[in-house]
Amino acid sequence: MNRKVIAVVIAIWIAGVMYAVFNLVPPVEGLGNLVRLAFFHIPVAWVSVLAFLVSAVTAGQYLRTRQLKYDWVSASSAKLGLLFCLLATVSGAVFAKLTWGAYWNWDPRQTTIFILFLLYGAYLALRSAIEEEERRAAVAAVYALLAFLTVPFLVFIIPRMYFSLHPEPVLNSVGKIDMEPVMLYVLLAALAGCTALFGLLLSSSVAGKTIPSGKGMDE
Amino acid sequence: MPTVKLSFSSAVWAVLVKDTVCESRTRYAVGILVMFGLTSLSSVSMAVAGAALSPEFAAALLWVVLFFCAMAGLARVFVQEHETGTLLGLRLYAPGQAVFYGKLLFNQILLAGLSCLIVPLFIVFLNVNINEWVLFTLILALGDAGIAAVSTLTAAMVIYAQAKQAIFTVLTFPVFLPQFLSAIYATAKVLSGSAPAMEELVFMFGYDAAVVAAGVLLFDYLWQE
Repeated sequence: MNRKVIAVVIAIWIAGVMYAVFNLVPPVEGLGNLVRLAFFHIPVAWVSVLAFLVSAVTAGQYLRTRQLKYDWVSASSAKLGLLFCLLATVSGAVFAKLTWGAYWNWDPRQTTIFILFLLYGAYLALRSAIEEEERRAAVAAVYALLAFLTVPFLVFIIPRMYFSLHPEPVLNSVGKIDMEPVMLYVLLAALAGCTALFGLLLSSSVAGKTIPSGKGMDE
Repeated sequence: MPTVKLSFSSAVWAVLVKDTVCESRTRYAVGILVMFGLTSLSSVSMAVAGAALSPEFAAALLWVVLFFCAMAGLARVFVQEHETGTLLGLRLYAPGQAVFYGKLLFNQILLAGLSCLIVPLFIVFLNVNINEWVLFTLILALGDAGIAAVSTLTAAMVIYAQAKQAIFTVLTFPVFLPQFLSAIYATAKVLSGSAPAMEELVFMFGYDAAVVAAGVLLFDYLWQE
């Protein structure tokens, strides 16, 4: 019931953001109307990283407390993260094709998102390969934490290996100084909307797990 | 039940010796590593058939061959305990940390042996020149330490999984990637006759240290029943 209300609010919010993206945001010099794709690409990329973080933190919580609810959150977050990661990769590749001329050229950002994709994939493959629930939870949690450990190393090594064409995290490397306030606000609104959507999907996916097994969240 | 309490270092040593004795009886891991190394190196060498390789390409080939050879044999340390039903005995007799260090050392020795086989063959088959042997050996040792540390942990993860061998490679690769990329990068520099920057070696060492530290922290969670 409560979740339905929140879902409606988020839907309206996202519809509003979409209206703003197509009507309020001006075309950017050099990118033209393609810039509108960024209002999808940046939020989903952000959420895929956020989901990774949530998965690692709840994995640590599971190992500390051994309560299965943390394992469910960790697993659901990783699944959603994989989905958002896929969306970010595909939208990024399309954007790259339209602006750089090739779908894929192992740009640092592309490499990073691809490694994230591999990590999520390996995590979920590991989960599906172990049957016993508690054993699976412990092993998957250890893997999530181990995977998270490698992230700082990647941040260091990858920019040294490859040359990047990717714009700076806050878009508008083209018109760097004058990112129009309206673009910034719309981008922030899109980020908020996407994050809220992730939160909603995560909570409903975790809730879905607790009902069929007959165990409450607070066991 | 023996009541003698082993010190930590002798417990590590006991695990290492036990694994070595088991291995010397079956020669399973050594056999697989040697044959896998030969097969993959010769297939690569035949495929490029004497073409001149750039240092970057040669370095990438060396590490791809080393990594996949390691994946063929290193899961053995824990999988074999599960298959022969000795896992519980090991749990009872040895503390978790000693098991981790013992298995890590065993994998490390296996990999060092594998490298001693692969590198000369690599030089012969692919006609590469190495002038900076000290640096090359150092990079090889740091890279091998990374593979051994990551794969000892992931091997402990796949004990109860289905399709252990396949999932072992899938799990190990993304975690090993930072070291994989920097090892290729540094090796390419050595093969092209220049020296890698000091900070690259420090980075590789830091990665190894971080993974071993993570293993120390996380292994007990995998080992406890």
